[in-house]
Amino acid sequence: MGKIIVVTSGKGGVGKTTSTANLGTALALLGKTVVVVDADVGLRNLDIVMGLESRIVYTSMDVIEKQCELSKALVKDRRVDGLTLLAASQKNNKDDMQPEEMKAICEKLGETHDYVLVDSPAGIERGFSNASAGADEAIVVTTPDVSAIRDADRIIGLLQHAGIEPINLILNRFSPQLVGSGSMMDQDDVLDILNIDLLGIVPEDPGVITSTNRGIPLVYEDASPGSQAYMRIARRVTGQRIPIPELEQRGFLSNIVNWFTRNR
Amino acid sequence: MNISIKRLFGRKPKSSNIAKQRLKLVITQDRLDVDDRFMTRLHHELAEVLAKYFEFSVNSVQMSLKQEGNSYVLVADIPYKKFHDTNPRR
Ligand SMILES: Nc1ncnc2c1ncn2[C@@H]1O[C@H](COP(=O)(O)OP(=O)(O)OP(=O)(O)O)[C@@H](O)[C@H]1O
Ligand SMILES: [Mg+2]
Repeated sequence: MGKIIVVTSGKGGVGKTTSTANLGTALALLGKTVVVVDADVGLRNLDIVMGLESRIVYTSMDVIEKQCELSKALVKDRRVDGLTLLAASQKNNKDDMQPEEMKAICEKLGETHDYVLVDSPAGIERGFSNASAGADEAIVVTTPDVSAIRDADRIIGLLQHAGIEPINLILNRFSPQLVGSGSMMDQDDVLDILNIDLLGIVPEDPGVITSTNRGIPLVYEDASPGSQAYMRIARRVTGQRIPIPELEQRGFLSNIVNWFTRNR
Repeated sequence: MNISIKRLFGRKPKSSNIAKQRLKLVITQDRLDVDDRFMTRLHHELAEVLAKYFEFSVNSVQMSLKQEGNSYVLVADIPYKKFHDTNPRR
């Protein structure tokens, strides 16, 4: 029985889809069987971020409407073994799906995969209920700014209420320079507020944008800091104990620079 | 010159610290608001205790949480008709 993990946030645009695509690919690169599920019905993006948009034939809605078998709706990612995508319907909206229907799909996928990663839409409404309906665990993605963190706290409350446990945090678009100059909260500040466990920190990385442009998840490029961050996160998800590296936020030189430029 | 000296030695708080303080406050409030059962329960239990001392209508009681500076204040508005006689021997 695989793990069903919902990737969610509350606030939009903080990196749920990026995280689902990269974590899913990274887990497959580690030899796991993974299906990534787009739960953003009507605003689907996971297919294009992963570069699989031209190969979608069926969606989860077709499965619900019994137009096709679940296994037939899965699009195989040919670049790595063990990775498939279940796309969301683009012509429907979130209310066309019931949480129980999504739950049934996720549970069925969990029987044949090590990991089912569900990319949740933003918000706390129906789309979120659908995405989290079948989840055993949750990954909450946030950026280190006040509105994203406030919304993350709200989502954490809803997940806890639904009995989803554990709930882990990905801190995305982190900038060691801004933390060093005192303009961005660091991981301790964020964890102190949200009070959940940290799964990993993903730095602000232009590679995220270029890899999305190309439809090739960042984790295929070993060198980039974002790629390395997602690979470490994937290893932690599989249960390996990988320490969260001290981000080079307080190197000697940057310390001096920061001393002169702080108080922003 | 003046400005750069101020920059070097000034104690202007970092904006990240301000962000953290503001978030802590607003999230405490959010969490309390999410749980309105808390306020309902408090309302009932408080009314139960107060009924021993005052004569009032439970429905007229207004309760709210307010933020004053860095702390929270519970404000209860209880229009009462009269005190009960608390010392019947008198
Ligand atoms: N670590 C990062 N560094 C740089 N850019 C990033 C990073 N993470 C995400 N982005 C960019 O932020 C934007 C939003 O990312 P993404 O689509 O993953 O967010 P989302 O939470 O899924 O959004 P939505 O709520 O709309 O579904 C994208 O343009 C993405 O390329
Ligand atoms: Mg998305």
